[in-house]
Amino acid sequence: MIDAGALRAEWTKFTSIRATMVLSLATVVVSATFGWLFANAAAGEYATATAQERLDFQPLDMGTRGLFIVQLLISALGVLVASSEYGSGTMHASLAAVGRRGRLVAAKTLITALTALPVSVAGVWLMYTIGQSTLAANGAPYVSPGDPAAVRLLLLAPVVLTLLSLFGLALAFLLRSTAAAVNVSTGFLLVPVLASASPGFLRNLLHTYWPNMAAFQTVSGASELPPLLAYGLFAGFIVVMQLAAFAQFKNRDA
Amino acid sequence: MIQLSGLTKRYGDKVAVDDLSFTVPPGLVTGFLGPNGAGKTTAMRMILGLDVPTAGTATVNGRAHHELVRPLRVIGSMLDARAVHPQRTAYKHLLYLAQTNGLPVSRVHEVLDVVGLSEAAGRKAGGFSLGMSQRLGIAAALLGDPPVLLLDEPVNGLDPEGVLWIRTLMRGLAAEGRTVLVSSHLMSEVALTADRLVIIGKGRLIAQGEIGEFTGTGADVVVRTPDAAAFARRLELSGAHVRPGGGDELLVHGMSAPDVGRLAAAEGVTLYELTTRHASLEEAFMELTRDAVEYGSAR
Repeated sequence: MIDAGALRAEWTKFTSIRATMVLSLATVVVSATFGWLFANAAAGEYATATAQERLDFQPLDMGTRGLFIVQLLISALGVLVASSEYGSGTMHASLAAVGRRGRLVAAKTLITALTALPVSVAGVWLMYTIGQSTLAANGAPYVSPGDPAAVRLLLLAPVVLTLLSLFGLALAFLLRSTAAAVNVSTGFLLVPVLASASPGFLRNLLHTYWPNMAAFQTVSGASELPPLLAYGLFAGFIVVMQLAAFAQFKNRDA
Repeated sequence: MIQLSGLTKRYGDKVAVDDLSFTVPPGLVTGFLGPNGAGKTTAMRMILGLDVPTAGTATVNGRAHHELVRPLRVIGSMLDARAVHPQRTAYKHLLYLAQTNGLPVSRVHEVLDVVGLSEAAGRKAGGFSLGMSQRLGIAAALLGDPPVLLLDEPVNGLDPEGVLWIRTLMRGLAAEGRTVLVSSHLMSEVALTADRLVIIGKGRLIAQGEIGEFTGTGADVVVRTPDAAAFARRLELSGAHVRPGGGDELLVHGMSAPDVGRLAAAEGVTLYELTTRHASLEEAFMELTRDAVEYGSAR
């Protein structure tokens, strides 16, 4: 199913336009910046906090709040892998060249994962390092890399972000437009923000079961769900999106 | 060889391609003609596997496009020359296409050379003129050295030098034994290049054949004589069909100029003019497609 030539071609496409390269870099830079910003603000709050507030202080959560923004960028990166071909009309040439549509979807899925993973690793690790060292420098508590919570974050957050890039890719296949796919992705991923303003049942649903929340809550160890169930929910959602995208792409006129 | 068999494409109630069957043989340039909206592009998209036929099949050298393992090595195509990412260089555009089919990088340089774009290979396609884009599109079509070529309106918007270049190129490709199908909505464009014509209108096949067959029909003999009325009756008696051309002119159909001349000599009729006038391909095309024009002007 995976065709080396088609994969090489996807890499050439990815590296030969500005948007994908700029967005990859921006994702890393934004991760580092938010790591510093949120940690800096949290350290300030800690300095003036009461004793009880200091007990409740979660250094890892404070330092990684920026993930909520970074997830939007990484999903947009996945969007671009397919939508840039629709926008410029090269999808026809690409399909006429590759022939079997499954090969093109497989190659795009793989190139999205292969580019989003190093970007996610760089982003998460930088955010963690800068965030925690900023907390430490300002005399606030921090979580050192040997801590199990830190290890969980450093290993799993990049995987969650990478899967979110596949969510963006699937949306681009379904909607065939950069603007539409980015808007839907952003809206969908930010829905949990409404959780705190929702009545009990809905709040619980959004907070615990909404796919990206289920994953992020489990990464930070705050989920009410068993980890396997939470990750399964999230991964299952990504798989369903991919299958929907593939089914449509396979049968629809290009 | 390209073979269409009962090829049909419906969009809801609208039939874009209607039970279209024809064969495009190798070694010839086949012109694919029809007014705008006749279904040429839709048919070509189905040949390339981009659109799924509602019914019927289209095969390239005996196989459907989606069955081809390395499609560029079998059929090269240009549907829309402008469909290149504006930020991507000509070289990278061709490179990624070559990679999909496992073609060597050297092939990219070769086709850039063939179309005369070697100098512009590193420039972004967004800054290309239409002529350069067409050349890039042709380069992409030639990448896999394919035995079959499919070109949708390749000379659209080209300057005369570019038109001549494409004509020469297509003739050369056919002479090498390749199958060349080239669409156009203008008869005059393909008249000079094509060996065969396939004419469609409203998605249906109207006519096909060697290009000579289209000029043979509709030849008139123009006769000018002071005895127009009397000679017209004499011609009618000999089986010709005669229309008055105004003044002393007669338009004779169904009798050759030599026969008209012999008859005039036998009858002692003075002739001022005796001319064979072939209907042009353009006129033949207009005649054939008159009923199939999607949005024609009032006549």
